[in-house]
Amino acid sequence: MVTRRHFILATGATALLATTGIAIGAEAAAEAPVSGGSLTWAVETEPSTLNPHLNGQAKAKLILRNAYEGLLARTPEGGYVSWLARSYSISDDGLEYTFKLRENVSFSDGEKFDAAAVAFNLERVKDVTYSTGNSSGHLTHVREAVALDEHTVVIRLARVYSPFLDGVSGIEILSPKSFSSSQLKSGGPEIAGTGPFIIDRYVKGQEIRFVRNPNYNWAPENAGHQGPAYLDEVIYRFLPESAVRSGALSSGQVQVIEGVPGNDAGLFRDDPEFSYQTAINTGTPYTLYLNTHHGLTADLTIRKAFQASIDVDQVLQSVYRGERLRAWGILTPADTDFYDRSIEGAYGFDVKLANRLLDEAGWSERDGDGFRVKDGKRLTIEVVQSQATVRDQRDILLQAVQAQARQNAGIDIALQYVDAGTYTTRQKDGQYGIIPNSTTTQENGVTIYFHYLPRDKGGSINYSRTEAPQVSAWLDEAASTLDPKKRFEIYAKLQRYAIVEQVLGLPLYVPDDQIAASGEVKGVGFRPFKRLPENAYDIWLQQNA
Amino acid sequence: MTADNVTTLGHAPVASYRRRHFFARGGLPLQVLGRIGSGMLVLWAAVTLSFISVQLAPGDIVSLLIGEQIRTPEVEAAIRAEWGLDQSLFEQYVAYLARLLHGDFGRSYILQTDISALVSSQMLPTLKLTVAALAVAIVYAVASAVLTAGKRIPRSIAGGLELTLISTPTFWLGILLLYVFSFTLKIFPVSGDRNLSALVLPALSLGLSLGAVLGQVLREGLERALEEPFALTVRSWGASDFVLRLRHGLRHAALPAVTLAGWLVGNLLSGAVITEAVFGRPGLGRITVDAVLSHDMPVVLAVAILSALIYVAMSTMVDILYLLLDPRLRSDAGRAKT
Repeated sequence: MVTRRHFILATGATALLATTGIAIGAEAAAEAPVSGGSLTWAVETEPSTLNPHLNGQAKAKLILRNAYEGLLARTPEGGYVSWLARSYSISDDGLEYTFKLRENVSFSDGEKFDAAAVAFNLERVKDVTYSTGNSSGHLTHVREAVALDEHTVVIRLARVYSPFLDGVSGIEILSPKSFSSSQLKSGGPEIAGTGPFIIDRYVKGQEIRFVRNPNYNWAPENAGHQGPAYLDEVIYRFLPESAVRSGALSSGQVQVIEGVPGNDAGLFRDDPEFSYQTAINTGTPYTLYLNTHHGLTADLTIRKAFQASIDVDQVLQSVYRGERLRAWGILTPADTDFYDRSIEGAYGFDVKLANRLLDEAGWSERDGDGFRVKDGKRLTIEVVQSQATVRDQRDILLQAVQAQARQNAGIDIALQYVDAGTYTTRQKDGQYGIIPNSTTTQENGVTIYFHYLPRDKGGSINYSRTEAPQVSAWLDEAASTLDPKKRFEIYAKLQRYAIVEQVLGLPLYVPDDQIAASGEVKGVGFRPFKRLPENAYDIWLQQNA
Repeated sequence: MTADNVTTLGHAPVASYRRRHFFARGGLPLQVLGRIGSGMLVLWAAVTLSFISVQLAPGDIVSLLIGEQIRTPEVEAAIRAEWGLDQSLFEQYVAYLARLLHGDFGRSYILQTDISALVSSQMLPTLKLTVAALAVAIVYAVASAVLTAGKRIPRSIAGGLELTLISTPTFWLGILLLYVFSFTLKIFPVSGDRNLSALVLPALSLGLSLGAVLGQVLREGLERALEEPFALTVRSWGASDFVLRLRHGLRHAALPAVTLAGWLVGNLLSGAVITEAVFGRPGLGRITVDAVLSHDMPVVLAVAILSALIYVAMSTMVDILYLLLDPRLRSDAGRAKT
């Protein structure tokens, strides 16, 4: 139902946009957005918990961001604009961050949003007994968070830590009252945020329904509009099967889907009744990390030979039909802050090199199956992939890599799909040749630290297990400076070292997100900078005349 | 009673029923108590075995909960304390048993929710699906058996159809049904557990293959029954062929099919996993698979115990159904008593 108030707010917001001349796209400018209506969006992944502090799933963000918001929003160029915080400043020594908060903001349970609430949230998130490290990582170096006055928060750090601003500005602020709710850990309607929508009903295994927050008036500065959301309600339906999502959209039972497999992309892209968009993810590409401390991959020659034996372009073409972008570096090209493009083409497929390296290393004999052997032992590299995280046809991709390694260089790639428990044990003990992985939510270079610091010094996902002292020294140097240019140079140096010189990993492709929507759905798209599907705030439904 | 007119599947329960009845000379209450006691014992064994096997499963739960975060002793200690993992294994076991007696299955590692609430909220959709699938199966099996038993051409058509249904993967059948009836004809909605029409396609995709198996067994039984002397007697009364099949033959033929159905219903849970995923339905199957994949042991444990409970209940029910279906068993038992 569209109340008069909504209508006035909506028209007011539209008028404001028109007069201030904020670019809102040619199509939208031609037709004013209308309020009202209900949207059903079929998603692939159901959130494990609805508490944004405890949920580490990148795929759940598009749902949770309807109800929970952070202090600052990012711009496509990597800058920061106001959201729940009006402005921020960093002291000259880089140790003190001051946030001036927006006034007249309230949580959906009626509580007031103020400096005390922010300080309380940061304190709780930093406490590992509550957040068990899920989002506390960014707050490790926080000494204290203090509410200076009603609308000013000061955060003091123990050391200069350059990824801090990105990390802290993304932490969702919950109503302090929520922390005493019995739903705290599982999340739910009792956990109130400040978002443009409010969780109304959650049916596990089926759907989650949000209703509009009528009081909402604090959208990020760079959002498509201001004031309350256009939609009356939005329902996210959990449909894990991609074929079923595609069918549900094409038969008009849902209006938006995400996660469109390569084979179905053409169905929506080439049909004028639908819109189809993709965006590559930030973070790290899907990379085969080679274990430098165990088995044959400990030998640099074998790592180099493996890298040269895989024709990545051909593998991607055959598996994804050109629907996926090849990756080259330690970050994806979407990471506009720190991705150094000069790595592209700096290494690559070279059958002769692969075979020469292996011949020289003494792997010159072949067994009956065509695999190389040395001293009666086959050249086998074991790939350990967690069954739970196989998606996006990655199992087929790995098979294609396996076939290439065998055909081009006689390398035996043994694929092992394991349960979560086995995976954790193998990962912890280092009993693997290769672990494939990609990450999406650790921006601003943070992911580099998790991947390349020694495991006992914060390298929680250091799959290559490198402990090279120069790498640690570089990373420390980059973390201690707030100069982005200097950080870029250091990460570029590390990228060359890790991928070209040491072959700690072989990047395969850049994961992306896909959204397909029926024609009447307007304003659906991706978040600026982080490139994940955006929440439903700017979405509106075109009325068919 | 001769063994000729009962297939081998019918033997074991008949024999066990006799034995039990013999044992029950001490009186009915004692027999009932014995049943409950042995049921409890089976459940306790299931709980204990499940608990042990969960402990034996690979993967340290603390590492798993830390996942890919930074591991510090504080995080580790916090996790151990939160989930009671700082106690000895025996203490954990006793605490778990005590909580079970209060109907508390604990909290999920991954979903962070109370498992009793989780399981009970997922139970109803699964139960609905199971009952609907069973209804589909029974209707299909009875219709197919009664209409085609002993008739050469219909029989081979039905047989071929059943073979196709049995060998069609549930997953594919589900997508096919969706494609035809939801995406193209738009008769039924694609997903969810919202109304009766949303139940039709999942029930068909799960129930048809079950019905096909039952149909084959039932037809076989019916054909044997129709060759029995009693069939000739009934015919001589002037009863129509249809009445003979439905009223007299089916009862004879039902025993092995009921045994099989009891066993298959237990298996529906595993079939439900796929059906629930394809149709986006809530249900126990999906949370079970998710829990196994993500090593969410409290949920795995709860589902294992629940399955044991269901199996115990089902086997008792099948025993009772036998008595209702076959009066010969009752009279047999009566004779044994004297």
